Amino acid sequence: MDSSAKISLSTRMMPYLAILQHDMRALWASRLVRLWLAATAVLTLMLALANWSQFQNAPMIASLLFPYLVFPWFFVVVVLGVSPVSGSRAEALADGILSRPISRCGYLIAVWFARVMLVWSVYLVVIVPVIALVTLAKRPVPEDTVTVYGIVTALFLVGLVLTFLVSLGFLMGTLLRKPLLAVVVLIFVWYPISLVLSVFSLEEFSPISLCQAMPTQLRQPWREVEGSSKVNVNKEEMNAFSSLSNFFSVLSPTKPQPKAAKPDFFESKEFKDFSLGWVTLGYGLPTLMTIILATLSFYWRDL
Amino acid sequence: MELAIRTEHLTKIYNQRLIAVNDMNLEVPKDSVFGLLGPNGAGKTTTLRLLLGLQRPTAGRAEVFGKLCGPNAVVVRSQIGYLPTNPKLPGNLRPIEYLDLLGKLSRLPRQVRKPRISALLRAVGLLGATEQRIQTFSTGMCTRLGLAASLVADPPLLLWDEPTAGLDPTARRFTLDLIRELGKTKTVVVATHILSDIDQICDHLGVMHEGRMIFTGSMQDMKKRLRRDGFSLELEGDTDNIRLLVNEVNNLEGIDARLGAGQVLLVRIANERGRSRALAEVLKLIDASNLSLQAVHSGQNATENAYLQLLQEDEAHGFQR
Repeated sequence: MDSSAKISLSTRMMPYLAILQHDMRALWASRLVRLWLAATAVLTLMLALANWSQFQNAPMIASLLFPYLVFPWFFVVVVLGVSPVSGSRAEALADGILSRPISRCGYLIAVWFARVMLVWSVYLVVIVPVIALVTLAKRPVPEDTVTVYGIVTALFLVGLVLTFLVSLGFLMGTLLRKPLLAVVVLIFVWYPISLVLSVFSLEEFSPISLCQAMPTQLRQPWREVEGSSKVNVNKEEMNAFSSLSNFFSVLSPTKPQPKAAKPDFFESKEFKDFSLGWVTLGYGLPTLMTIILATLSFYWRDL
Repeated sequence: MELAIRTEHLTKIYNQRLIAVNDMNLEVPKDSVFGLLGPNGAGKTTTLRLLLGLQRPTAGRAEVFGKLCGPNAVVVRSQIGYLPTNPKLPGNLRPIEYLDLLGKLSRLPRQVRKPRISALLRAVGLLGATEQRIQTFSTGMCTRLGLAASLVADPPLLLWDEPTAGLDPTARRFTLDLIRELGKTKTVVVATHILSDIDQICDHLGVMHEGRMIFTGSMQDMKKRLRRDGFSLELEGDTDNIRLLVNEVNNLEGIDARLGAGQVLLVRIANERGRSRALAEVLKLIDASNLSLQAVHSGQNATENAYLQLLQEDEAHGFQR
C-alpha cells in the first residue's frame, strides 16, 4: 500500500523534477553563472584579505555579505530571475515543454526553485568556506563573540533577500515579457527602496540597514543568557565597517543610512532591536506574493 | 461518429485587434488523417495552440476526446503529440537526453521510456546522430527529432504543424509515409498550406481562410465541389495528328478538349456525362490515331482547384457575412 503510494507520488513529481534538473543543468552551463561564480569568489577573497587584520569576525563577515545584499550581485540575481519565461525563451518553452502534460503553475514553481537553488548554491559555495576561514584562522584582531547561531541566521537572511530578488525578477519577467525592460524596471524599483521603506517606517528592511545590523545579528546567541556578557563591540571597528558600507553605497543612489523614523534602531548603531522574525516575515511574505502573482500572470498569458 | 476534436464557436482575438480564429466549429473524426489547410495567416497554428491550451480562447470552447482544453488541462495534453513548425529545440542537449526529458515530462517510467526512445530514434533515422548535440543538426534532422518528440508518449492524437516545411524530397517522402502509417492507429491533424501533401495523406479536410473554417468534410466531398472534372493526356506523335485528335474529341458530346503545352491533351467532361464512358471514348480515338499515349492524369489539381475555388467563393461572399 505504502509502496504504491510512493510510486504514484514519484511518478506525479517526475516532470517537475525533470524540469528542475534540466534547468539547473542549463544554468550551470551558462556563461553568466560561471562568470558570477568566479567573480563572487574573487571579490569575497579580496574583501577577506583586504580586511584580514582590520575587522573583527562580525564586521568582517558582514562586509563579505554586503555585495550580495546591495551591489553588484543583486544585479546578477535579478537577471537570473528574469530570464526563464520572457523573451525568445517563452516560445521555445511553449513548443518544447508547456505543450506536454504539465501544468503551467507546476512548471513555474519548478524553474523558480531551480533558480533559487542555483543562487543559494553559488552564494553558499563561496561564502561558507571563507567564513570558516575567517572565524577559524588566527588573525591579528581582538577576539570576537560571533556565534554559530548568528552565522546561520545571517546566512539565512542574506539567502532570503536573494530569494526575494530572484522572485521579484521572476515576477517582472513574467509581467513585462521583455527581459531587458524587466531588468531596467527592477533597478529603478530596487535602488530607491530604502527611501520608500523609510516613508512607511520600515527602514530595517532596507538591504543597507540589514547589512549594518548584520554584525549585531552575528554576535547574537541562541539563548540570550549564554552570550549576554560576551558581546564586545568595538566602536571604532563599527565605524570602519560603516565607512566600507558607505563606499559601496556610492555605487547606488540609495542613501547609506535612511532617515531615522525609529531613532532607537538607527541612532545607537548597535541595532539591538533587530528582529529576525520580523525581517524574515518582511522578506518572506513579499516573496510568496511575487510567486503567486507571477503564477497568476503566467496562467493568464498566451504563449 | 466518435470525435477526437470538437470546437464550438471557437474564437481568438489578439489584443482586441486581430481576429486569428473566427467562430470556428470543427469536428475531427477519431482515427482520421485530418488536413488543416489554409494560406499563411489563416489561423491554423493558432487553432492548434488553442487545442494545446498554450493560448486561451476569447470565446467558445475546444474539446479533445471530450475533455475541455485550457492552460492547466494536463489530461488533454497527455493525449496530444505536438510538432510545431521548425521546432525550437534545446541545442545543448543530445537527442537521447532531449527525448528522455520529454519522456519524463510525460511521466513515462524508465522501463518504458528507454526502449521507446531507441525505437523512435531508429524510426526517424537519427540513430547515427545520438552523439551529436542538437545545435549541430540540420533543419531536416531537427524536424525528424521533433517528430520523434511528438511520439515519445505514444499519444492517440497528433497535431503536426507544417511537418514537411524545409525538408528535402527524401525527408518529405519519409514524413508523408510516416503520417500515412500513423493514421492507421491514431488521429493525425496536419496543418499545412502544401496541397499536394494533403492530397496524398488526408482522408478528411478543413479549409481555413482569414480565421474562418470555410469547409470541412472528406476529401471526396472536397473534390466533388469542382464544377467540372477533367483529365490531361500526355501524347507522343505528330502535332498535326494531335490537332486532328482534338477536333475529333471536341465532336464528342459533352466533352471539351484543347491542346496544352508539350503535347498534352486537356479534356474536360461536362457534369451530366459519365466520366468513365467519356474517357473510354477519348481513349478509343487515341487508339485509332497514330499517336502514342504516354500518361493519363486524372484530377491531379482537383484539390488545388477546389481549394482555390473555396477561397474565391469565401472572398466573394465575404460581405454577406
